[in-house]
Amino acid sequence: MSMENILEDEHFQLLAFLLTSARGCIDEPPIYGPLRLIDAADKLISMLMEKYRGESKEFQEIRNKIEKARNLVITNEEEFIKTLDDLVISLSKIVKKA
Amino acid sequence: MVDILRIIKGRRSVRSFQDREIPGDHLLAILEAGIWAPSGSNIQPWEFILINDPKLIKKIKLLSPGLYGMPKILIILCMNKKRSERAGRQGPSLAIMDISMAAQNMMLMAYSLGIGSCPIASFNKSGLKELLDIPEEVDPVLMISLGYPSEWPQSPERRPLEEVVHVNVYGKHLRR
Repeated sequence: MSMENILEDEHFQLLAFLLTSARGCIDEPPIYGPLRLIDAADKLISMLMEKYRGESKEFQEIRNKIEKARNLVITNEEEFIKTLDDLVISLSKIVKKA
Repeated sequence: MVDILRIIKGRRSVRSFQDREIPGDHLLAILEAGIWAPSGSNIQPWEFILINDPKLIKKIKLLSPGLYGMPKILIILCMNKKRSERAGRQGPSLAIMDISMAAQNMMLMAYSLGIGSCPIASFNKSGLKELLDIPEEVDPVLMISLGYPSEWPQSPERRPLEEVVHVNVYGKHLRR
């Protein structure tokens, strides 16, 4: 397979994000660690929504909460943590239902 | 005075952009605002790399976890280490201050033209040097994304003057 279109490949984009984030997190504020992880989760959700089209409501709910959490990182750490808790509950509901 | 304070207070970090080009003369005005920043001993230790190629912006995004949205323009603000050495042992820290002030000038100029911006330090410097053929003696220190905002974010709270300002001696807070 040619590498010509590798930049458009979502898996490659996630790979680049994870590797650069791993290096960045060493020097950055600790709270950026969870931020990078939810950003990575958001990229994974794009792929999952493509794969499980019928389940997009659940994934969209998680995506909305990620967006909320992202906006809280630097303004309200407590609410950010609560939103992360809420995200895990949404995930657990999918696990329970399956 | 009111106008400049309005611009300073209005600027926000914008992380989602419209698909709309920035006029060339506005872009030049933003860059020019950068070179008129204060500079210790007038060393001007900065180099600005203008990125206007959408494919290259996509590549830079892959190396920059802190770069959100798809801006129309990126400006990579770099420290020219050879120039900064002229300031002696203070060189690197003075250079960071100079470059930061240049960045602020650029972002305020952008805001005054209705253009959104975001300062970004979360990018992989080694990767960016490789991608953009940046020489050894030049270090990228900050990136500014530019574009017309999809929305202007709300302003976060600021610590009040009464807490931040100390009058004559540390600990004697401003009273109004």
